[in-house]
Amino acid sequence: MGKKNKVILPPNLPPEVADDEIEVSDEDLEFVGRNREYVGFLTKLDTKSIDRHVKRVANHEDDELEALYEKRNRKPSLLRLKEEEDKLQVDPVDALPVKTLDGKLEYRTADRSKSGDGTDGKESAMGIEDDEKIAGMMKLTKPEKRLKLKKSRKEAKKLAKVEEKGDGGEEKLHSEVLAKVEEDLSAEELFRKKKIRLAEIGLQLLENPEENIKALKELLQICDDEDQNIVKLGLMSLLAVFKDIIPGYRIRLPTEKEMEMTVSKTVRQQRFYESTLLRSYKAYLMKLVTLEKQPSIRQVAVRCLCSLLDAVPHFNFRESILASVVKNISSSDDTIRKLCCEATRSIFSNEGKHGGEATLEAVRLIADHVKFHDCQLHPDSIDVFLSLTFDEDIGKSDVLKEPVKPKKRGKWKNQDGSKEVQGSDRKKNKQELMKKTREEVSADLKAVSFAPDSKDRKLMQSETLTAVFETYFRILKHSMDPSASRSKVNAVSLSCGSGSYPLLASCLNGLGKFSHLIDLDFMGDLLECLKKLAGYSDHNDGSMQNHLSVSERLQCCIVAFMVMRNNLDALNVDLQDFYVQLYNLLLEYRPDRDCGEVLAKALKTMLWEGKQHDMQRAAAFIKRLATFSLSFGSAEAMAALVTVKHLLQKNSKCRNLLENDAGGGSLAGLVAKYRPDATDPNISGALASVLWELSLLVKHYNPSISSMAASISSMTSMNPAHSQVLFSTASPLQAFADLSTERELFKPASKAASLRRKRTREIEKDFVVMDPDQIRKYENMIDEGVLTRKFKDHFILNKGIMENERLRRELNHTMSSISLYEDYKRQKKHKKER
Amino acid sequence: MRPLDEKETAAVFEKLFKFTGPNLKVMVERPAVEGPAGDDPGRYCLRLHKNRVYYASESLVRRATNVARDRLVSLGTCLGKFTKGGSFRLTVQSLDLLAAHARRKVWLKPTAEMSFLYGNPVLKSGLARITEGVSPGDGVVVFSMSDLPLGFGVAARSTQDCRKAHADAIVVNRQADAGEYLRNEDDL
Repeated sequence: MGKKNKVILPPNLPPEVADDEIEVSDEDLEFVGRNREYVGFLTKLDTKSIDRHVKRVANHEDDELEALYEKRNRKPSLLRLKEEEDKLQVDPVDALPVKTLDGKLEYRTADRSKSGDGTDGKESAMGIEDDEKIAGMMKLTKPEKRLKLKKSRKEAKKLAKVEEKGDGGEEKLHSEVLAKVEEDLSAEELFRKKKIRLAEIGLQLLENPEENIKALKELLQICDDEDQNIVKLGLMSLLAVFKDIIPGYRIRLPTEKEMEMTVSKTVRQQRFYESTLLRSYKAYLMKLVTLEKQPSIRQVAVRCLCSLLDAVPHFNFRESILASVVKNISSSDDTIRKLCCEATRSIFSNEGKHGGEATLEAVRLIADHVKFHDCQLHPDSIDVFLSLTFDEDIGKSDVLKEPVKPKKRGKWKNQDGSKEVQGSDRKKNKQELMKKTREEVSADLKAVSFAPDSKDRKLMQSETLTAVFETYFRILKHSMDPSASRSKVNAVSLSCGSGSYPLLASCLNGLGKFSHLIDLDFMGDLLECLKKLAGYSDHNDGSMQNHLSVSERLQCCIVAFMVMRNNLDALNVDLQDFYVQLYNLLLEYRPDRDCGEVLAKALKTMLWEGKQHDMQRAAAFIKRLATFSLSFGSAEAMAALVTVKHLLQKNSKCRNLLENDAGGGSLAGLVAKYRPDATDPNISGALASVLWELSLLVKHYNPSISSMAASISSMTSMNPAHSQVLFSTASPLQAFADLSTERELFKPASKAASLRRKRTREIEKDFVVMDPDQIRKYENMIDEGVLTRKFKDHFILNKGIMENERLRRELNHTMSSISLYEDYKRQKKHKKER
Repeated sequence: MRPLDEKETAAVFEKLFKFTGPNLKVMVERPAVEGPAGDDPGRYCLRLHKNRVYYASESLVRRATNVARDRLVSLGTCLGKFTKGGSFRLTVQSLDLLAAHARRKVWLKPTAEMSFLYGNPVLKSGLARITEGVSPGDGVVVFSMSDLPLGFGVAARSTQDCRKAHADAIVVNRQADAGEYLRNEDDL
């Protein structure tokens, strides 16, 4: 508040005086004359040069202020007065040397703008949330505003006066400027007034919504303002009001029949209140939807819509809110998109608020949206599905109850039957009547009860699921269609840069998450789809160039396996084609281009967890993974080695690979020679090879990998019973994560350790050449700068040697040509002599 | 003994392709195990002898030409035989070759193995595992759970249908099984 006072109070002083002047302001001559009068009885320096005139102005101001002060006798204002005086005095003095109109004008506007800035800052400081605050200040600010206006007018007059003395010809121009200034000021004041009005109405509404419900209309009218700031403020305050007063139930307007009925006063009042609320809510929503198209107000409008959706999803007109939110769900504007996604997520996660209907609607809308845009959307719009939850136990409690019921009923009937064989019909009739009424009552109860019954919920859930999977399948289908995609690849990759299928990755994620809910009927088509996407083709002619990245294809394989595994109870199916795909994708993997985590996940789901009995295939994978781990980073290598170890443990026959004789003996099958380039793991003949990679990996610089390799190569002698004990628990994914974090922490973490180790190392001087510890130690010991210098030296030396060699070669060449020439000469001479 | 003519080759390859799929190329083009080792081991080729089709390495074929036609009983691996009607049938002897290059496989539960080896079709109840993507009419090689090839046949229903199928439903119609070595010893 202190700040505000400072800015606002200065204008407090001059008002009364100014009032007098206002009447005269138009006639400049009169104004001057009056000044003369004032000046006349104050100072006698009046008839001097223009310079003094300025001073006079100042003096006259002084007098005015003093007079005012006396009148008011207010202490705090005194200080401000003095400040004002200083300012005013300074003003003309500064203005003097410039003399031109422009210069003076500039000065003035600058001064004013300063105060304007102050108010602006204040406005922004006061958010919509402190509506009350605004209301509290209202009384202060209104008079202040007026004062300020007057003061600036006076200033303008003063300026005019000075100008008049300089040259009277510019009067006209000046008045124009004045008009403009006034206009600006009035607009500012208007803004203020409106803001205050907004706050007032808001407060009223919050205080007593039933009585002041009509005020909503006024609020809505304010939102029609041409000033965008006002519109924004109006929208936000309406949002706050609606959030507060919207009831916890859905309003149903009374039918005409009901209207005709005579009702009590309170009911009528309530009806009026509800209908007004509903009407203005509708108007507000319509306004939001229309304003949403204007770029400047768009964010505010979308924010309002989203928070409404979040706060009151149960209320009327949810459909229209949802529609506009979903429309913006893949907006190119990050903030808008995030807002919309958050709103949709909250719909999905807070189903209790609206009983699940909104979820279904939202999912359907998104599905339509995806369909309409031909799957060219931002992945966020599909990622929202991940926060959906499907309760599988909805019907179960009822199902458990139901079988109990008929038994009871049967018992009852039996008992009744046995007892009432001779009973009268009246009793039976009575019972039937009772039963009927009971049924009626329960039906009524169901209709009235807030929570939807489990059957409805189940239906709703299954429909939601259908819509979700429909979207997913649509995306998959779209990604499979190369002709449609090719044309769009350019446009999309230019705009969003996330490849031609922006939705595919999140779609696969979603499928993975909900794989246990997929209907068995879909499964065949789904797997077919995934197989094609993963790049498998029946004819290995390479005609179909796959347009998906390696990570995406790996993900396809993973999803296929997850789908299969989650439905394993039906039938144990061997996904041979996907194994083939993984086998080939291993070759295409590049550590920097592709996501290592996906690879590790693929290894985990397909090889590490999968029940694999096919010996040839296992052997092929073991061999390829071992080769793979030789050529890639430590994290990938570790994941691969963990898988290899697991495979070797499971398939005891594959341990032949660890033996040191090539050929594989009788196990090798029909293929006698290992073919590393085979596309099918079954015919690669891996059993005929030897895992020589392991002995190289034992010398790996990373200690964990070398120890892992050593442990694998020592598995030869292990008997099957023993192997169960040593079963490793770490999955490839875990291993990958461990090592990739270790890689980041490698340097700093091992520094301290290396210092400790140094001493022990110094004692035992002889060490293995490839000792990983030693290498690590050196890695840390060597300073970066030293290294650069040494490299530099080395390269200079190398370059020198090369240069030397080159020169030597040239020299030799020249020498030889000279000698040749001499030879030639000699021969010529020889011939001549002859 | 003579090389197959075009029609016969088509008939043989058609039957083989049902089982091997694209792997047929590998099967035909694989380097021979016998013969001069090192520089050029030669390839395998198909020969027709007494209505039977044999799969043998080139070197073996060359050596077999020394034997008189009526004296030659067999050479290489017998794949199958042409019936009197002119159609081609695969026989059990081709099992190893098919198993190595098979695309669709079915694994039997240990309890169902014997029944299959006695010449019965594979039922759903005996099915332990099945390759994904089998469609009715595909050639399927039948394995035991320890990956030992037992025989082959034609799929009666797709993988999808197998899920919903009844326990007594036939999954694979048998064409040949290893039990024939005992049962039909004379005919082979």
